[in-house]
Amino acid sequence: MLFPTVQFAIFFPIVLALSWALMPRQALWKPFIIVASYVFYACANPKFALLLGGVTLGNQAAAVLIHRTGSETRRKWILGVTVALDLGVLAVFKYYAFFVQSFADGLDDVGLTFPLPLLTIALPVGVSFFTFQAISYVVDVKRRLVAPASTVDVAVYLSFFPHLVAGPIVRAREFLPQLAAPRDPNRVAVGSGLALVGLGLVKKVVIADYLARTVVDPVFAVPQSYSAPDAWLAAYAYTAQIYCDFSGYTDIAIGLALLMGYVFPQNFRSPYRSLGFRDFWRRWHMTLSRFLRDFLYIPLGGNRKGKWKTYRNLFLTMLLGGLWHGAAWTFVLWGAFHGLGLCLEHAFSRHWERVWKWLRWLITFHLVVFGWILFRSQSLDEAGHMLAQLASPGAATLWSAPVVAAIVVVIGLQLLPSRGVENFQIRIERLRPAVIAGGLAILILIVGATVPSQGVAPFIYFRF
Amino acid sequence: MARDDSLMERFEQHGLSRFRARDAVWAVLLVSTLLVVLAGDSARRAGEQMNPGIGRDLVLLVGKPAGAIADALPFARLADKATAWASPDEALNGQGSFATLAASPAGIPPVTPDAFTPAQLGTKPPAPRPLKRVLVTGDSMSTPLDTSVARALAGTGVKVTREPHLGSGISKSFLVDWGELSSTQVRKLHPDAVVVFIGANEGFPFERDGREIKCCGAPWAAEYANRVRAMMNTYRADGRARVYWVKLPTVRSKPRSAIGRVVNAAIDVAAEPWKSQVRVIDTIATFTPNGYRDAMEIDGQDTIVRQPDGIHFNDAGSAYLARIVLDRVRQDFAVER
Repeated sequence: MLFPTVQFAIFFPIVLALSWALMPRQALWKPFIIVASYVFYACANPKFALLLGGVTLGNQAAAVLIHRTGSETRRKWILGVTVALDLGVLAVFKYYAFFVQSFADGLDDVGLTFPLPLLTIALPVGVSFFTFQAISYVVDVKRRLVAPASTVDVAVYLSFFPHLVAGPIVRAREFLPQLAAPRDPNRVAVGSGLALVGLGLVKKVVIADYLARTVVDPVFAVPQSYSAPDAWLAAYAYTAQIYCDFSGYTDIAIGLALLMGYVFPQNFRSPYRSLGFRDFWRRWHMTLSRFLRDFLYIPLGGNRKGKWKTYRNLFLTMLLGGLWHGAAWTFVLWGAFHGLGLCLEHAFSRHWERVWKWLRWLITFHLVVFGWILFRSQSLDEAGHMLAQLASPGAATLWSAPVVAAIVVVIGLQLLPSRGVENFQIRIERLRPAVIAGGLAILILIVGATVPSQGVAPFIYFRF
Repeated sequence: MARDDSLMERFEQHGLSRFRARDAVWAVLLVSTLLVVLAGDSARRAGEQMNPGIGRDLVLLVGKPAGAIADALPFARLADKATAWASPDEALNGQGSFATLAASPAGIPPVTPDAFTPAQLGTKPPAPRPLKRVLVTGDSMSTPLDTSVARALAGTGVKVTREPHLGSGISKSFLVDWGELSSTQVRKLHPDAVVVFIGANEGFPFERDGREIKCCGAPWAAEYANRVRAMMNTYRADGRARVYWVKLPTVRSKPRSAIGRVVNAAIDVAAEPWKSQVRVIDTIATFTPNGYRDAMEIDGQDTIVRQPDGIHFNDAGSAYLARIVLDRVRQDFAVER
């Protein structure tokens, strides 16, 4: 079920009202929210609900086993097998076709043929997110950062519908404590919840989809047909689109959870005002950055084993982070590019920090835009075409005031002093809920009118 | 890498968690009520557009009364007018609508010379003319075929317009009336060649003279063929343009494949009057000769050609299909290579 649909608009008020009605009786609330979340998930494909259930039970069994085991070696083994199984789920559903096709192509290139089962497997929505959350739970139990929760609590944690399909990646130690007692019905951030839902809808449906339809999709489909002005516009437009699409989804998810009394971690903090790659990853998809840092970079050794191993760890972390986004060489290259950027920034940090701030911003921003070209392109060839077109003289055919305005607003707002924007947001979120609700209804009407007859495009991160 | 800055306390810090749960419920109910009054018909329409099943029934359970309330009050019409400026959809003027198709044409339809190809008659085909404008359209099947066609023709001076209408169908005219849409496309774009690939969302019942024609018997196939024929007639533009109608490949789902078989039969019948202008391109012989398959040999290399949904072609499959389509186009038009 997509958030910006009539189905969800019917689903959510019913679930919200019942959720608060049942909240004082946790023995009823928890099964109810699990059923509601599974209904939400099964709308995409009921079979995938079985996978979610399997991942939940498998990881819970492992967590309990780890907790009960005294021997550190055995705990490590159980954890290793569990993480391998979780990654196996990802490998089968997400990467099977990619790896087998790449392997077959590789064999073919050296003149060998081997009959490989070339199959496509339907990708369960959100599999990358709930397997990562499951891994975080088991690892945190192994590290004794959390005690194993009840199976029901783990099922709520992994299936809770606001974060189920595209994050944010909520850590067990952030969410499970919120399940320990009923949420306080007198301390709900209603204004923030409603405002975030409205903001997310505008970002996704109005800005992201508009930029995709008018500029990004046409140019990235056939870059050869466009010259430099349009190629640059498409690159900037995609930079704005992907931020609005993903942070829009996150805003809605956080807003819905708030209305239900739960808090999710922040996932974005004005990423396009970054002054370097490190800064960028502290602001972009923050919950993934934390996951990669805590479960990949640090276990690899982090920065504790010398300069070169730090670079290796940074590079590997980002390379795998790139691959997490999708089964394609363009994502791998995107990850490698960011990994290289982080390594260079580490190596030359003293020099880099002496550069004027505005120049650091300009360079970082354009390197990020370059990365998005790799990320958005369907293949390495297409990325090459797109990059070549950035230097191909010709006329601007897609430039229009609304497109330029949308890009400038999305990127420009992030460059404003954050205190001012935050204060404005807080002032709105403090308004009476009825006032915000009225505004939200009008906003939804206008947003709904901007949706083409074929409906809302799926969120970009649904694929990951 | 990032520090631990999940900011879980951010709503507490700013004093924003100061409302009650009942405020949340009332606020969401207020939003819902306003939306029912101002746009209740959208909920009904959304339900009507869904595939049959429990989901559709549930949406209609809410959508029908919501639509009735919106119809009874003047606010929805006012809201419609007030927000019309924001719609990205092109207004269709009713020309060519399927609703205007005659149910049973009187007399014997005449056979015209357009029904014969030069090859059938053993005559010399006309010299290929230059290709200037190509339209690639259809439902989600037409993408990424449209992209592959555009890429293949990049740098040849041919303008390729891609117009996929995702989720639409010829039997789903409550969503998009392809009769009207095809008229608008031709009037706006004047294409020399039109590539059509549609059929992923078919199987919806037709309504004719107040009765429902359910999929997929001969009456449904006949109605479908009439609609396809009307579109072919529009796209061929009195013989000025050529139409390349791509038939459906076998899909993984058996019920969907059964619908696809009827759709393909209807396409063959629909194209009969204009064999020299409407080229029907078969995909089954190439992609699924012995039933559904994910992969096939392309240029001597085993390649996955379908998307995981078992319906659509992926980039490699679309690129191969584009080659087949463009080979056919090059028989009719002179295209720079």
